[in-house]
Amino acid sequence: MSLFQSLSVTVLFLCAVGILRVKNWRWMTGLLTLQYICVLSLVSISWPVEIAVVKLVAGWMATAVLFLTYANIPESTADTKNELSLPGIFFKGFAALLIGISVYSLVPDALRWFLGATSQQTLGGLLLLGLGLLQLGLSREVIRIIIGVLTVISGFEILYATLEASVLMTGLLAILNIGIAFVGAYLLLTSYLEETS
Amino acid sequence: MNTPLLWILIPLFISGFFLFIMNHQRILKWTGTIISLNLAALAAFLPINKVFNYLFWELKVSDEMLIFGRRFVLSEADRPIVVLLFLLCTFWFFILDPKTVPIQVIPLGLAGTVLILTAYAVEPIFYGALFFAFLALIFVVLLSPPGQVPTQGVLRFLIFQILGMLFILFAAWLASWIDINTGDQLLLVRSLVILALGFSFLLAIFPFISWIPMITEKNHPFLTGFVLNIYLLGVFIFGLRFITEAGWFGKNINIQQPMQIAGAMMIGFGGSLALVSKHLGRMMAAVIISEIGRSLLAISLFSLGFPLFFALFVVQALALGVWSLSLSHLRQVMSSFSYDSAAGAARQWPIISSGILVGYFTLAGLPLLAGFPLYWALGSNLRSYPLWINAMYILGALELIIGGVRILAALTRNSGEERVLIIGNPFYRSLILAVNVFLVLLGLFPQIVMRAAQSITKIFLGS
Repeated sequence: MSLFQSLSVTVLFLCAVGILRVKNWRWMTGLLTLQYICVLSLVSISWPVEIAVVKLVAGWMATAVLFLTYANIPESTADTKNELSLPGIFFKGFAALLIGISVYSLVPDALRWFLGATSQQTLGGLLLLGLGLLQLGLSREVIRIIIGVLTVISGFEILYATLEASVLMTGLLAILNIGIAFVGAYLLLTSYLEETS
Repeated sequence: MNTPLLWILIPLFISGFFLFIMNHQRILKWTGTIISLNLAALAAFLPINKVFNYLFWELKVSDEMLIFGRRFVLSEADRPIVVLLFLLCTFWFFILDPKTVPIQVIPLGLAGTVLILTAYAVEPIFYGALFFAFLALIFVVLLSPPGQVPTQGVLRFLIFQILGMLFILFAAWLASWIDINTGDQLLLVRSLVILALGFSFLLAIFPFISWIPMITEKNHPFLTGFVLNIYLLGVFIFGLRFITEAGWFGKNINIQQPMQIAGAMMIGFGGSLALVSKHLGRMMAAVIISEIGRSLLAISLFSLGFPLFFALFVVQALALGVWSLSLSHLRQVMSSFSYDSAAGAARQWPIISSGILVGYFTLAGLPLLAGFPLYWALGSNLRSYPLWINAMYILGALELIIGGVRILAALTRNSGEERVLIIGNPFYRSLILAVNVFLVLLGLFPQIVMRAAQSITKIFLGS
């Protein structure tokens, strides 16, 4: 079980770093899909799988909304505008690595705050929070910001699942994920819509 | 029948219905105004938890509703908040010109107001943070009308509101431990720091201030004015509920001091922004930032400052309303709101420009206008505070007035075009004049708004 959890955290880290670096939106949404599977595996440590699966369903729905929107944008054949140069790739990779090392060193302290959490859950949650914030700090494009926000919320959800298991909270967070994706879809499409006033 | 159904679910359903009639702009405007006014009137006069007769029926409206085991309560004590929110909505809907303002402000604005009430009504109160995240989503859509590229300010607004929500939820969870381990000062301090961080994100307190000038510069002035007025009021009343309801607050820890510091800092930033800005939109950000500071200082006075806080928001709505309405008309003939583009506007469009000047100077605190007596009263109550806070308060007000003089200079500058031109419908020009006169009258008779604010406070605090 512990090995599986550690594997989940590793895949989670790789997915989040991958999202940060790839410029093809198909890869981006694909990695996000994989990231939600890892979120499910970490949340299911604290919750029964049948409730934890809500996170996966909501996350996949959010990803599907973003994917379908991007697929229908007239210019979507082009990749995101973030042309990454070699120094850019190196910088983002290095920043992600720094966050990974910092979070890893913070886990023993963080475990005192999240009493019911395993070290893998804490590591996974904090990694997603950190890498999501990095994504938000470095991006100006709508799609990247929306994915950054979804990543931060996923990290929070892993940690919060160890603290509270309220049905209403779970439902509202799931709706929030899907809502953010819909708002992202609207923002991606808004410049193509007819002006009202 | 219950109050959350009346003031949350039914208006939410109505706002959903409004989305389907967005092509009928005038009908939507007047329907939205009348419905908001009716909801406010209902909130003012409907007996709650008492049996009353209506036509052939005997009715009783209870004050709570249960959803998934969580209570949503809008009781007798919450009546003034409901009235205030729906009246503000009515005012904004009434003054909006469908020809110059995207009409989605009616359905999305009503839905946003309802979400503020939901956040305010839910128990335990920390669940409200989630509803503020939904509210942020709605206002992001509102601030990005169809046909326009979303601005960076809007995206930053979204990011900060989501982060604020996460911090508040986490702080609330930490706080729940304090009940069990009473007296754990470290835990209390930790939860308060995280909570303060959450509210700093929500209220754009330094250093999370940047989205306000970004939005006011690039987004539609009317939408910006509406969102800033309603959203900030919502966050403040949500915060007030936290302060008044959470028993573990204020007992062992002094929360007055951080509020004083944050308030003084915001006034300082607002004033500085007013001094250096050369853009009418950014000047709106300057006064809004100062207003956040003043509201924080008013709340830091607790029961003494609550009437001032409510009065500040009423005056802010009127001033910001007339300013936004004027700017949205000016937007039809100007490509930008920079001082160079707006040069000489007062010579060509005197009535529209008067709305900008009176709205700005009211919020800057110019004597004889509606803001001045309130700022004077607030300043007088700050005498027990440290000298630097008082100095910052006066300096901030002076900087705002100097900024206003620069607007006046820009608008009256001779641009070579002397013809008086007419833009906008006569109804809206008369409305600008009427609100201007009303703001002057409120400056001469401040007791009108203060009495109303005192009544709101009295019921709000349940005394």
